[in-house]
Amino acid sequence: MKREFKLSELKELNRELLATEGCHARLLEAQETVNGILLGKDQQVRLSFCCLLSRGHLLIEDVPGVGKTTLALAMARVIGIDYQRIQFTSDLLPADILGVSIYKRDKEEFEFHPGPIFAQVILVDEINRASPKTQSALLEGMAENQVTIENTTHPLPEPFFVVATQNPLDLVGTFPLPESQLDRFLLSFSLGYPDPVAERELLTTEERSRMLDRTTPLLTSQDIKALQKDCEEVHVSDDLLDYVQALLKETRDDRWFETGLSPRAGLYLLRASRANAFLEGRDYVTPEDVKIIFPSLARHRLSPSSGFAQSADEQIAELLDQVSIP
Amino acid sequence: MTGPSQKATRWVIASLSFAMAPQLVKMPIPLVIMTLLPLMWRIGAEIRGWKPLPALVRHGATALALLALYFSYGSIAGRRAAISLLTVMLALKLIESYRIRDARLIVSFSLFLCTTQFMFNQGILMPIYGVFTIIMVLVTLTQLHRNEAYFAFDETPPVSVSLFSELGFSFRLLMLAIPVGLAFFLFFPRWVTPLWGIPEATLDAKSGLSDSMSPGSIQNLFMDDSPAFRVVFDGRIPQPSDLYWRGPVFWDFNGRTWRGGFYGKNLGVASQPEANEAPWTYTVQLEPNERHWLFALDYPATRPRHSRITIDFQILRRLPVTQLLQYSMVSDPVFVDSPELGVTLKNSALDLPVDSNPRTRKLIERWKSEGLDGQAMVRRVLTHFNTEEFHYSLDSPLLGRHSVDEFLFDTRTGYCEHYASAFTVMMRMAGIPSRIVTGYQGGWYNEIGQYLLVRQSDAHAWSEVWFPDQGWTRVDPTAAVSPLRIARGSLSAIPAPRHLLDYSWLRSFRNGVDIVQQRWNDWVIKFSADSQARMFSSFGLERLTPSMLVATLFVVIGLFSFLLLPFILRVKGPDRKDPLRAVWLKFLQRLKTVGFEALPSRGPIELAHSAAIQLPRDSRSIHHIADLYSRSRYSGTPPPLRQLKDAIKDFHPKKNTG
Repeated sequence: MKREFKLSELKELNRELLATEGCHARLLEAQETVNGILLGKDQQVRLSFCCLLSRGHLLIEDVPGVGKTTLALAMARVIGIDYQRIQFTSDLLPADILGVSIYKRDKEEFEFHPGPIFAQVILVDEINRASPKTQSALLEGMAENQVTIENTTHPLPEPFFVVATQNPLDLVGTFPLPESQLDRFLLSFSLGYPDPVAERELLTTEERSRMLDRTTPLLTSQDIKALQKDCEEVHVSDDLLDYVQALLKETRDDRWFETGLSPRAGLYLLRASRANAFLEGRDYVTPEDVKIIFPSLARHRLSPSSGFAQSADEQIAELLDQVSIP
Repeated sequence: MTGPSQKATRWVIASLSFAMAPQLVKMPIPLVIMTLLPLMWRIGAEIRGWKPLPALVRHGATALALLALYFSYGSIAGRRAAISLLTVMLALKLIESYRIRDARLIVSFSLFLCTTQFMFNQGILMPIYGVFTIIMVLVTLTQLHRNEAYFAFDETPPVSVSLFSELGFSFRLLMLAIPVGLAFFLFFPRWVTPLWGIPEATLDAKSGLSDSMSPGSIQNLFMDDSPAFRVVFDGRIPQPSDLYWRGPVFWDFNGRTWRGGFYGKNLGVASQPEANEAPWTYTVQLEPNERHWLFALDYPATRPRHSRITIDFQILRRLPVTQLLQYSMVSDPVFVDSPELGVTLKNSALDLPVDSNPRTRKLIERWKSEGLDGQAMVRRVLTHFNTEEFHYSLDSPLLGRHSVDEFLFDTRTGYCEHYASAFTVMMRMAGIPSRIVTGYQGGWYNEIGQYLLVRQSDAHAWSEVWFPDQGWTRVDPTAAVSPLRIARGSLSAIPAPRHLLDYSWLRSFRNGVDIVQQRWNDWVIKFSADSQARMFSSFGLERLTPSMLVATLFVVIGLFSFLLLPFILRVKGPDRKDPLRAVWLKFLQRLKTVGFEALPSRGPIELAHSAAIQLPRDSRSIHHIADLYSRSRYSGTPPPLRQLKDAIKDFHPKKNTG
């Protein structure tokens, strides 16, 4: 549709455009910075940014010590917004993360003390250690971007980005997240061990924590909101939608998985693919974007059909090879 | 606004014009004007964007058209008038049609108008023209339908379909209709005569030889190249000089015009040759001419159905020939026609108007006094034509009261009818009974089709004289003047072209092409109620009632539809073949030739990466092409297809040998 612009509108548009251009450059710089801290994990860093840009939350599954926390910290640093870390334990209560109302005698009323959830970036360590009740409290907040305590609704800040980690091996005394709650996380991935070159560099260069300290914020929360908005403008063609639908349909075939991906997962897939295209500096989504996002979007939502020796990751890779691109 | 798009409107106008054209040719001038005016106005309105006409003008034009119709035909009943009414009204409908519904109405009626042509002309050209018109109408309907779909979903047309695929789609639709059309052709109950086969004397002019002959009447036929009939011989083909196709025979002469005699028309033939001894067996396929005569070689030994043979061997059909008619004949040339002649007939074969042509009479008297009689007189007259300065020509001056005198002594120029007429008059003056026979002479033999084509231009007139015991004997005075006329056909006798488009090569081309028409007649037009009954009786089914025929028809259509269903389901509408995809496949093909196999699950950029690793020398162009394709396919603002096409055209990967 052709639209006629007035001169003033054009100027406004131009300014926005310039601002976004600058934003985009700084976004890429931020991504590079995180890459510099977390060596050899470009793919995961990219996914983390995609997750941030598409207003989703991230779940990192891995053994301790591979840099989950470092990634979350580095992300929080470069995007320069306030950051909280919550270590989940089995005795953690919902109030510990949401906050409490304390009676103030001098004012003769209750005053709300917000908990750590009222931050913009939250690192939830070992999410599967807390009781289901506490997990739900967090996940409700993630889903609705607000928490309700004693009949008062408190909106959460924007942007709101949760990075949760869980340790898949340590199963004693944990409460695994049910599938419905895993759905709250847009993407999930594991970091894995670094490759030899990256590991050598890691061992020889200065400590990560000091590097983190030196890192200065590159983006403001305003910037992030603007970037998130820009991501939504990325063009999705009919052919691409065909591809996305073909993928979704394939996951619903019971020769692969017990249950397929929901339409909401499809929406998330598009959103994250748009973010990936945006990071690449394109204004349209290609099948490659979808293919990059798809495994990390699907792996925590799908469980292989019984009788398959393969893991979900292997199944997903095979599925991607089966669906042809229109 | 729910009007058709500009493009669709143009199609509507074009298909209506196509459907109207054959009718316009035959309509009276005032009606043609009344038809063309609204059409022109609408074309102008399309080009210049004129405003719609006020209602008063439109109603006025309609009233005017009805008046013109009434005064042209005297009524608005009858097939010609009714079809003219339809034509004019459709043209007038154009000036008030601005909605899809109206456009569809016009187009559907165009289809109907297109079929009305067959009420007047069943030649081969009409079906071909009809197919063109139908395809145009189908294209128009597709366009209108698409327009409507856009309005229903409030969207602009997403694709522009090329004219070629549009035509292809319509053609395929038409192909699908063929089995159904064929079923209707074979099984629909037929009347013995078609509904419009009732002769209407006021309508289309009759063609061919008429029931009288005056100087110039055959000359007019000479200009007419349309086929009169076709003959397929079973066995021996007669010599050109034997190919005298007998038609109307004339006895009465009033000094200017020859007419058929009372006896000749009403007495039946006394004896016919024996059919099993006759040497010539043939089948005649007579073109409709709205007349009663059937043509045969001398002397017919058999009698076609629904006809009688008169005493002068004219074959008259009970009903005029309004449809292609086929009849088989056997003829025997050596038969003696009337060895004895009754007094009444003899007198009518000698009758002449009194006090006419005194100079001729004087000449005959002189020859008579020289002692010439009978056969000798015949020879003398023929010698006269042959030796004196007589010309065989079309440019014969008009003759007055003593036509034979003027012809013999003054003008000495004429066509076969002048010679035949003069000869017969001279014979009668000499006391030899004689009469005039008209018909056709010669014909063009089509070697491929193995049939003889006789055209109206082969019309001819000759004489017959009667001698005791020898009976009626054919004498062709034209042969004495212009032997070529008989040996090589009417057209070789006149060296000058008859009209602007008259060349011998064109004539032979037309003769050759006539075979198409002949086949069409054989396979399609000839198929009548009789043939239908014969077809069923060959399956052992006799006398099917019309309702049984209709039942059969629907069973057959049902069967066809069932068989065709898979194909019908595949016809999805104008081909929207993806040109982008085609170009990309070409690229993949090129990669394949150098050993790079592309997985269908790889995106273009992904694919380019792996291809570039395998073919490092071409990596730049591979990436370039993949990027172009990716942008064309997935971005909101695709680059022109040309760019990608060019890039792929220049892409010639080399096998990586190193």
